[in-house]
Amino acid sequence: MTSHAEILPGTLDLLILKAVSLGDVHGYGVLLRIEQISGGALEIQQGALYPALYRLEHQGLIKSEWGRSDNNRRAKFYRLTALGRRRLGEEQASWNRLAEAMATALAATPREV
Amino acid sequence: MGKPPERPPFSPAGLLARARSLLRGVFRRSRVEAEMLEEFRAHVDLRTEHLVRQGLSWNEASRQAHREFGHAETHRNAARAARGLRVFDHIRFSWIDVKLGGRMLVKHPWLTLVAVMALAIGIPVGLAPMHVANAIEAPLPEDPGNRVRALRYWDPATTTATLATYEDFEYGSGRLSTFSALGAFRSGSYNVASEDGRGTPVTGAQMTASSFEILATAPLMGRVLGTADEAPGALAVALIGHDLWRARFAADPAIVGKTIRVGSKLRTVVGVMPQGFLFPLTQQLWLPLPRESAAAGGSGVRIFGRLAAGADAEAAQSELSAVGRPPTPASSDESRARLRPEVVPFGMLFLSVPRGGLDAEPGFYFFQLLALALLLVACGNVAMLVFARTATRFRELAVRTALGASRARIVTQMFVETVLLAVVGAGAGVFSVDWLLGRVNLAALAGEPALPYWLRLDVTPEAIVWAFALAIGSAAVAGVVPALRITGKRIQESIQRAEAGRSGIRFGGVTGALIVADVAISVAVVGFAMVLTQRVMDSRTAETLAGIPSEKYVAIQVRVPAVAERDPESPDSERVAATQIALVERLRSEPGVESVVVADALPRMDHRAVPVEVEGIERAEELRGRWVGTARVDIDFFQGLGHHVLVGRPFDAADLETPVRPVIVNTVFVDRILAGQDAVGRRLRILRSAPGTEGPWMEIVGVVGHLGVSMVNPQGAEAMYLPAAPGEIQPMQVGIRVASGPETLAPRLRDIVAEVDPTAVVGSPVVLSDVRQGDWYIMVAIAAGLGLLVGVLVVLAVSGIYAIMSFSVSERTREIGIRRALGAPRQQIVATILRRSLIQIGLGALIGLPIAARVYYEFGGSIPGQTSPIVAALVATSLAAGMVTVVAVLSCLVPTRRVLAVQASEALRAEG
Repeated sequence: MTSHAEILPGTLDLLILKAVSLGDVHGYGVLLRIEQISGGALEIQQGALYPALYRLEHQGLIKSEWGRSDNNRRAKFYRLTALGRRRLGEEQASWNRLAEAMATALAATPREV
Repeated sequence: MGKPPERPPFSPAGLLARARSLLRGVFRRSRVEAEMLEEFRAHVDLRTEHLVRQGLSWNEASRQAHREFGHAETHRNAARAARGLRVFDHIRFSWIDVKLGGRMLVKHPWLTLVAVMALAIGIPVGLAPMHVANAIEAPLPEDPGNRVRALRYWDPATTTATLATYEDFEYGSGRLSTFSALGAFRSGSYNVASEDGRGTPVTGAQMTASSFEILATAPLMGRVLGTADEAPGALAVALIGHDLWRARFAADPAIVGKTIRVGSKLRTVVGVMPQGFLFPLTQQLWLPLPRESAAAGGSGVRIFGRLAAGADAEAAQSELSAVGRPPTPASSDESRARLRPEVVPFGMLFLSVPRGGLDAEPGFYFFQLLALALLLVACGNVAMLVFARTATRFRELAVRTALGASRARIVTQMFVETVLLAVVGAGAGVFSVDWLLGRVNLAALAGEPALPYWLRLDVTPEAIVWAFALAIGSAAVAGVVPALRITGKRIQESIQRAEAGRSGIRFGGVTGALIVADVAISVAVVGFAMVLTQRVMDSRTAETLAGIPSEKYVAIQVRVPAVAERDPESPDSERVAATQIALVERLRSEPGVESVVVADALPRMDHRAVPVEVEGIERAEELRGRWVGTARVDIDFFQGLGHHVLVGRPFDAADLETPVRPVIVNTVFVDRILAGQDAVGRRLRILRSAPGTEGPWMEIVGVVGHLGVSMVNPQGAEAMYLPAAPGEIQPMQVGIRVASGPETLAPRLRDIVAEVDPTAVVGSPVVLSDVRQGDWYIMVAIAAGLGLLVGVLVVLAVSGIYAIMSFSVSERTREIGIRRALGAPRQQIVATILRRSLIQIGLGALIGLPIAARVYYEFGGSIPGQTSPIVAALVATSLAAGMVTVVAVLSCLVPTRRVLAVQASEALRAEG
């Protein structure tokens, strides 16, 4: 199992949007999905999850609906809105640019300077 | 870059989502929170199940899940904060806020008085336009279900409604299924003879029997008019009103069945209507409207009806548009084709208001906005005072903030305090308006003997609700804005300033702009108020106003009704001519009578204004001529008034024979329209609303001085006089000059007219110098209103300037102390302190002055010894501006004296 990595400040919203974009999911499911898609490297603090979910819902990026979980339990399911999908695209592109820039910067050798 | 931005970029969908979420959080708080807790529980349960699947016992798993999740209350608060709802958690209105607010009102009585006064005037002014618009569309008192509607024929070109015909009524009655019944009526004035045989005029109406079915008002005694009364050869009957019954028939309980004389006809009284029934306007007498009388009369009727069950006004409008009007002979004019049949609220039958109501008039919103702008100025001023008051409490607020009071909590408290102030203001305003409405003669303001009975301008519950809504709105402007400013982002900096012994508050450009606006509006309005006051004062001296010794004239209105009241609107002109000639002869033979004149309006009375075009004077296409007061006069009019024609000649008998008659204009007409050029020989014509329908060109044959054409502007109103042959003026105003004073003749005038023509309807004799018609009352009301407005604005400006000056002086005490210690001269310190206020006052006066001068010039104000109207306007309004400026500057004096009293050593010791 991969050792846990720290979540960078400000990336929680992006991770939640990504998790929700993969299919309708309830709050606990978001935690599990982030863990799953990051290969267990990213673990979200449960206390931080709900404020983030409500903030995204307040901004109209996700919307929620009550439904039934796999084991037939009543749970609130989140789904990405069109606005959320657009934002996710923008954030993802922005993150990729940053990651690429960081990777390039960190791969630099003394000869390249 | 990779980090999500702090604030997402603007998007309408996002904004909508935020608003929806916020509203849901505020208005469905308990449901939102219950859902939140349920979601948390589901989360813990799912986690527990997950852990159980990993091999933990149920109890252990549950404990761990709870531990990992943490405290639900903490998450709930964090979630509310994420939704932007935390601010609402701090807004809690409590009685303590109200009590504190009450205490502040008492603690600062002058501020309370000024603010309450400003809002007590501002709130009713803000409400007035909409209130009047609603009153016009209100249902009749007989129709609480609001099912009665009127039918009218609207001419979009002239924006007036024309009268319908009896054929329209018959045509519609058989075809309109959206109305359960249609009625028609025609109002008029009738001589009703009392026991002693003398007739006095009574306003009445001829009405179809169906009208009474629509109104469904039961008579006090007897019966209402029925269809049998309309049958040919039916007994002549009359239905009388409660007031007429009491005043003229001494409330005779046996009146039903008795015979009274109405005009020249004897009629049997069939019933008495209850008090308050004055349909359609202020009527007291109702006669049948038989078909043959209506058709023969030729003049119009008005139609109204009750909507059928299930039908609404829109359906009725569609049906009426589809049904149209009865076919007419080919000779009918084109203006008829232009008329649009409309279904409107009853009151709009009498008003030239478009179908959508007063609020459909483009000008209405201008007035409504103007009224609200005045309220906003008042609120701005109150805000300034609240700001200054809060400044004195800054230490308290800073301490509370330091102890943990949130910004929302402090803002709420200040809002509640201002709401209290505004509610007291709104209450005072509503009560004063209610009190005034009971005492001011509104009918006289409108130039009518009485207002329509259905027009109720009293304060309604709806108006009270609106007044308090405006009070809350005003409090939001006057309380929340200063509170937000004071508790703003730089509160930390402010606290540091407060610690240094200052209030921590700075006044910004808004307060300065308010003072400028106050002074500007005051100066502009003072100019207008001055002209009007001058007019009111002038009207006391009759000679000045009318240009004639009007206290020597008695005036009486005489109307000759049509034969057998067939048609009150268009009488037989030969009979009118005979009555006029005989009456003038008879009056001239009376001892002491020096002259008798006949016109449709005598000096001091309201003259009809018409747009006029003068030949050779270019006019812009959109400018439909100059409005000129007109009077149709007998040919001896000017001689009879002892008023000589200044240039040219008076009218003579030959003028009546020519196909196009000449006109005489007044000196104001010559000065203003002809720019002082020769008038005699020039031609003018009367314009009509539709292009291409102008009247014929008429030649000016003479010029007379001013003869009191307008009470508002006696010496500055353009006028023209048209000669009229006997019989052409109806009703006629007869002016009689009596050498021994009008009092001797006045009591006998009615009898004299009755001798000449017993059917003539005679008004009350009045001495010409006592005539006060609509315009005069409007002028007094406007002058009083403006006077009050000026007073309030000046008081507001003065209080604002005073508060801010005092504040800035106490703020700068330390600085002043240092400057004095360093030997700065007093004048220099005073100049520094006063500069800002003086600039504001001066700027306001400069902005207001041209407006005031323009108004003064337009309304033709004058000052003794000054003949040029432009110079007069500038001199008078500069005086007004000077007056306001002096008052404003005086308000700076007290704080300035305080500056001079500051001793350097004391100031430094106190503040150090």
